[in-house]
Amino acid sequence: MLTTSPARIAEPPSSHTQSQRGWRAVLLTSVGAVAGISMIPFVYLLVRASDKPFDEIVQLLLRQKTLEVLATTATLVICVVAINLVLGIAIASGLHFVHLPFRRLLVIPMVLPLAIPSYVFTYTWVALIPSFSGFAAAVFILSISTIPYIILATLAGLRSIDGSQIEVARSLGLNLPQTFLRVVFPQIRGHVSAGALLAGLYTMSDFGAVSLLNVETLTVSIQNMYRASYDRSAAAVISFVLIAFSILFVLADESIKGKSTQSQLLKSTSFKSPLIRKKYLRFGTTSIITAFALVAVILPFYVLLTRFFSNPVAIDWTSLATATISTVSVAALGAIIALVLSAPLGLLLSAGASRFTTVTNKIVVIAHALPGVVVGLALVSIGSKLGALYQTTFLLAFAYAILFLAKSVTSMSSSLARVPDGVKDVAATLGMNPWAVVKKVIAPIAAPGIGIGTILVFLTAMKELPATLMLRPTGFETLATQIWSSGSINRFNEAAPYALILVLVAAIPTFLISRPDKEDHSYLQESTGGPSERT
Amino acid sequence: MLGLVTSCSTSTNEQATNVTEMTIYSGRSEEFIAPFFADWQAATGIKLNVRYGDSAELSAQILEEGSNSPADLFLSQDAGSLGAISQAGLFTTLPSDVAADIPAAYVAANREWVGITGRARVFAYAPVRVKTLPASVTDLTKSIYKNQIGIAPTNASFQAFLAALIENKGSGFAKTWLEGLQANGVKIYLKNSAIVEAIDKGEISLGLVNHYYIWEVSESLGRAINVKNGFFAPSDLGNLINVSGAGVLQTSAKQKTAQDLINYLTSPAAQQKFVTDTHEYSLLDGALPPTDLPTLDKIGAPSLDLKNLSNIKATQDLLIQVGLL
Repeated sequence: MLTTSPARIAEPPSSHTQSQRGWRAVLLTSVGAVAGISMIPFVYLLVRASDKPFDEIVQLLLRQKTLEVLATTATLVICVVAINLVLGIAIASGLHFVHLPFRRLLVIPMVLPLAIPSYVFTYTWVALIPSFSGFAAAVFILSISTIPYIILATLAGLRSIDGSQIEVARSLGLNLPQTFLRVVFPQIRGHVSAGALLAGLYTMSDFGAVSLLNVETLTVSIQNMYRASYDRSAAAVISFVLIAFSILFVLADESIKGKSTQSQLLKSTSFKSPLIRKKYLRFGTTSIITAFALVAVILPFYVLLTRFFSNPVAIDWTSLATATISTVSVAALGAIIALVLSAPLGLLLSAGASRFTTVTNKIVVIAHALPGVVVGLALVSIGSKLGALYQTTFLLAFAYAILFLAKSVTSMSSSLARVPDGVKDVAATLGMNPWAVVKKVIAPIAAPGIGIGTILVFLTAMKELPATLMLRPTGFETLATQIWSSGSINRFNEAAPYALILVLVAAIPTFLISRPDKEDHSYLQESTGGPSERT
Repeated sequence: MLGLVTSCSTSTNEQATNVTEMTIYSGRSEEFIAPFFADWQAATGIKLNVRYGDSAELSAQILEEGSNSPADLFLSQDAGSLGAISQAGLFTTLPSDVAADIPAAYVAANREWVGITGRARVFAYAPVRVKTLPASVTDLTKSIYKNQIGIAPTNASFQAFLAALIENKGSGFAKTWLEGLQANGVKIYLKNSAIVEAIDKGEISLGLVNHYYIWEVSESLGRAINVKNGFFAPSDLGNLINVSGAGVLQTSAKQKTAQDLINYLTSPAAQQKFVTDTHEYSLLDGALPPTDLPTLDKIGAPSLDLKNLSNIKATQDLLIQVGLL
């Protein structure tokens, strides 16, 4: 099924090895810099935590409350990820395999919840059901907020499967569930796991939904310690519990990915198996998709719209426009910085992981689980020493890049890994310089995936709140700060215009991600080399 | 010597005339304080760059910024946040002619911050459901209030009250009281307004809050609510008076301008505006109370020194210990 790429075996000529070495040194240095930047929050936490005497640290870690909060966080994350896996895979597979009316357009409402911040979801659901609160409510909100990650990841995996394998399996007598479990699932496991990791980390670091719903997770605990106490070292100690927990998660993802077969396989044909027309599958998929669209898109939109129109307070259009422009520009800058920072790491990771790049990658991913308030304070601590740079939109954008670098790196490295090694090597052998290889060979194949990563950073940055509050220029308001400053659920009417604009603006990149117009737009049409597998 | 003093005062005068803008970190919400800033801005022509946020979060931010803080003035909802900045040595001592009419009880002993408005701790309750009103905070651990009470342990005013309890009755007593509340099914909220909203919704019947939240919640809901303020028996610690206040950062190059703003906020006109617009207490002697409330000296507040309450560390350690933080 797989062929080893021949260029792997052939030694490239020595002159190229030399230029490649120089190129690699530049990349390694840049990755070192990125690692250093991602370490900023960890170093900050270490310094703060070390202010506390050792016995107090132990006491704090072992007290009943800490263990309870850890248990709550773990249960919440497991519930959310489990629901995500079941519904996300079901929805994505339905969209991919089943014959449905307006099949391509259906992707949009499935991904649109990415545009809605978890606290806006919470506000709208509390507006619908005043007694909406507690653990189950938090599982619900965080699930609808994060299922799109799994749907997107699963769809990406499904699209890279060669349809002829499915045909072969079917002709050998496997029924649909057997085909899915034995042929499809092993190939998408890596993608699904990456999506689950993002969903899990999002759940760990979420503050808005859980705090509004009265569920105390580690992030709420940390935030409360900062808010209520001037005891910043206790908050730092608890942050390490969160870090330890997210490391477990990253390792789990690692071991799942290790087992997945050929997730980096380049599809060598554009053959796609015909859509399934079985009635029960069409009915089942339609029901799930409708139900999800109803709770995650239609109802929240309905609430936002009714609140928007019933808002008795005159809308301040100038401040609405200013906040919109500020939000979009600073989030876009953040996404660009994240793209630049993730490029060297992505390139090295795609060329085969070394210990250095893997560790850096893990640091980046773990930093993603840190609450915004931690990254925010770390950058306040360093940024305030930078004079004029402090409290500028640039530093804020930079904070976004650190917070959400994982999203960019993950999609960058998996997209780049799709580029067959053979192609790169052949291009280099033919005398193309590394830059030309990137431009002419790598970029066309990897660009769509990298674009998705960048858009994800942009989307998440638009919704970010705690770091924004600390690092924004004084007087600079984003849509998120305006929504939050209304502060109370009762004042949600006043926040509604800002929430509505935030969702509408975020819907545009969400639309681009779901790309209903280009479902089979393959990075694969120009499949120049044979299929290759990353080892 | 005389020459030195003259040149000094000239330079401050110069500074005051040259200042065109000033940066304020405001823990007081924009909705309630912005009209005051607008008035001052209109009168002086000096532009105010205001960074709004939560008092404690802004205080954490100033502590993190240290001597690099861009803030000139810090306006806080509570004395605890001001005390934390003062203890870190980041405030400057205010001259005696700044906020001169604010009684000494509401000013830091070292004059590093001054009180701007007063807020009384009360219990907010639903008259329909609470038949027996508590006479003291210690009554709240009784079984008649089981599952009926709400508190906001992360809230600075609650912590100030707890600090008073520790100061007066010892930390053992305070710990027993908190554990008694927990055993009595106390419900935890993020902030005072959430407690009042919960009483209105019927989730709980009684909560420890500041006096002005019943107006705030009712105004934001746009309707009357079924919640009233109640005071404990005279001199009970539950009737503590807290202040919001302000201090000037030592690193500010605009000391005089910042002091001017404090003088404006403590002027009789501005103080009266606080009473009418935000339902807070004026700290000036003989000022009128907010509607339907007794004057500050008739509340039955415990006689204790607010300054002893600014060291909030012991309070928070206790809250962490019993698991409320």
